[in-house]
Parts: sequence; C-alpha cells; structure tokens
Amino acid sequence: MALEKMVEKIPSSSWEATSEKLIDIVLNSPDANKMPSGLAKTILYYWQRDQLATKIGLERLLEASMIIDTEKTIGVLKELGFQELVATLESR
Amino acid sequence: MINFGIEFVPRDLYWKTTFYAIQAEKTGFNTLWITDHFNNRNVYVSLAIVSAYTDKIKFGPGVTNPYMAHPIVTAQAVSTLNEIAPGRVICGIGVGDRTTLEMVNMKPSKPLATIRESVNIIREITSGRNLEMRGEVFTVSGAKLNYKTTSKIPIFVGAQGPKMLALAAEIGDGVLINASHPEDIKNAIGFISEGAVNAGKRVEDLEIAAYTSFSVAKTPEKAAKAVIPVVAYIVAGCPESVLQKHGISMETADKIRQAIIKGQWKEAFLQITDGMVEAFSIYGTPETVVEKIAKLVKVGTTQIVAGSPIGPDMRKSINMIAAEIFPHFRSKEDRTN
Repeated sequence: MALEKMVEKIPSSSWEATSEKLIDIVLNSPDANKMPSGLAKTILYYWQRDQLATKIGLERLLEASMIIDTEKTIGVLKELGFQELVATLESR
Repeated sequence: MINFGIEFVPRDLYWKTTFYAIQAEKTGFNTLWITDHFNNRNVYVSLAIVSAYTDKIKFGPGVTNPYMAHPIVTAQAVSTLNEIAPGRVICGIGVGDRTTLEMVNMKPSKPLATIRESVNIIREITSGRNLEMRGEVFTVSGAKLNYKTTSKIPIFVGAQGPKMLALAAEIGDGVLINASHPEDIKNAIGFISEGAVNAGKRVEDLEIAAYTSFSVAKTPEKAAKAVIPVVAYIVAGCPESVLQKHGISMETADKIRQAIIKGQWKEAFLQITDGMVEAFSIYGTPETVVEKIAKLVKVGTTQIVAGSPIGPDMRKSINMIAAEIFPHFRSKEDRTN
C-alpha cells in the first residue's frame, strides 16, 4: 500500500501529535544519516511552510522515520493507537 | 529590545542544522551564526542552504578567522550569500579557535593587525570597491569582485582580550564578546566603550553581543552535562588573563587542550569543574537562565547569542527559549515581528 493511503489511517485530530513524535525519531536517531538527501530537502520544504502536521507532511515524515528507525516508528504508532497502520506497515 | 541569536555547529548533518535554523526563525530568533572549523561541515555551504529555507533571520559565519581563510575569500563568500539573501547577511570574524588552529599548525600571529586588516578587506570588497592596500599582514593589489554587490554587510568582531575588544569597537559594526559570565561581560564592555570613544564612535551605535555557551533544560543537571564539552573547548582556548580571573591555571588549560587535540575526550571533560561551567556558560532551567541573561542585559549587552550546545535536546531547548525565556525580555509584538 502506498504511503499516501497509509497516512489516511491517521485521524486528522492526531496529525500534530504524530508529526511531533516522528520528528523526534528523525532528529534524534543515531542512524539519522540514513536519511536520503532528497527526502530531507522535501521535509525541510514542508517544515518551512508549516506543513509537517498535514497529510502530505506526515507521508514524508513517515517515510523518513521508517528508513531511519523502523522499530521505533512502529513503537510510536502503536503507542498512538494506530493498530491498522502498524499492521499494514509490518506486512510490507 | 534585546536581540537573540543562536549558534549552530555544522558537526550535525546539514539537514538537521537547517531544520533547527527554520525552527529558530519561526520561534523569533533575530540572528543565526554558524561556526567555522575545518573539521566540521563547511560554514558557507551550510549557510547557503539555511538561506534557501529561511526568509527573515539574519545569518553569517560566527566566527570565521583570517588564518584559515584569506579575508578576500571571506568577502567573496559573504557577498555571494548576500545576493541569495539580500540584507540578511552578517559577518563574524575573530582570531579563531586556538585548539583547531593548532591541529593544522596555524599560529594566530599578529592578531590585532590581522583582524584590523581583514575587516578592512572584507568591508572594501563587499562594498564593491577596488582595493589597493599594503598592510603589515596582507597586501592587496587592485582586487575587486567581478559582480555587483548588494546591501552593506555588518561586520561583527569576535573578541575576548582587552585590546581585541577595543579594536572590535573601533572597526566593527558589532562586537561578539566571547564570554558568558556577567563580570567578564561587564569588563569587556568597559574595553569596548574605551575603544569606541577613542575611535570617535558612540557605544550605543554598536551591537554588543554576549556570545555565550548556552544550555537550557528542565533540570540543571541535564543542562550542565550538555555544556561540559563546549566548556572544555573554551577553557582550552582561553587567554591567560581570562583564565586567571577565574582561578584557572594555564597548565590545566594546556592539559585540556592537549587531550582535545589527541581526541582524548573523556580525559578532557574530566578536568572540567563546576566552577568552570559556571564561569564559561549560561546553563540551567529556564528560570535560572532568565536570571543570568538579565544580569548580562543589565551591564549593557544588546544581543544574547545562545551558543552551542543550546541544550541536551536541541529542538526542545529552542522551543523552551522561545516559550519561557523570550517573554521576559520582549513584548508579544516584538516576538511576532
């Protein structure tokens, strides 16, 4: 399933909280250097425009955090109660 | 109104530095400084990408030095940046970090003449003029940029010792005082005032920045732990006069410097005492930091630069500064402008 469809499983009321958690993973992971440069620039573009807590911003953050730290990302999504999204990500 | 600046060390991945730079702009910092050390990512490449993702914040090298980079190259770099971000570029220059210079066998010789001539070169070249000069350190025979320069670039001189502070006031648009302790800042401002008066300038026309080593966190312990590595570098590169004032021997500073040069970090950091942390940084909870900043403002500082490490968690600390420290020094209107 495409990331676009996956992010639709996150209710808009949780976008802000999810965005915050994913940003923390991306910035604080010891494997942050796994971030592809093109994806980093896309994230900076959305950050500058206050769009990291929107559907499109979350898509890119989720993509980055899955690359950088899959385990932690799954853990955070479980914590936030997105079981369906977790199941989809784990079945990829 | 007091201005707030922030310093980033491009040891971090470029996109992280840029992420924090965007955050600094959003949260209301006025200036952004990126350090210039050969062993980190290049300062101008870092600033170029920051300029592309920000719109208002002023930024520049903080500080570059004329031993590793000829001032004509610095002039070229900052005027190129000023084309990308017109009116937002500032240039910080000083003698540089002794420890890093030593790694490449560079001696910061004739510091006063070197800085005086460098500032002249940068100012003339960035103004688009043709420069002919025969100095004690630099000779320039008809140098001029092949492109049109835009607005004036303010030059800030980084200084710590009495003569450099006075010179900074004489030739700079601003002074970056490399200190955090109110007594050191107070003394520094005394030398700055003398320098300004001798040069026929008004001290009120100068931006006087306390370029501090800064760490804010929810607990003082966490804030202090984060700042120790930076304090080690500061002590290692400190002039004897400043060390003496804080009761630190040259031997101790040398020992720390040698350990850093050899990459023996644990050895270096173990030498850092609570007194050193107190003397060379602003650290603590937001409440404590507010009190410390207030003392710096009281003695005449017009800009506070929150230098590395900012805090144990950069993103959280930037938000903490904006939410819990800015309101004590700015009106709501200032923060949104």
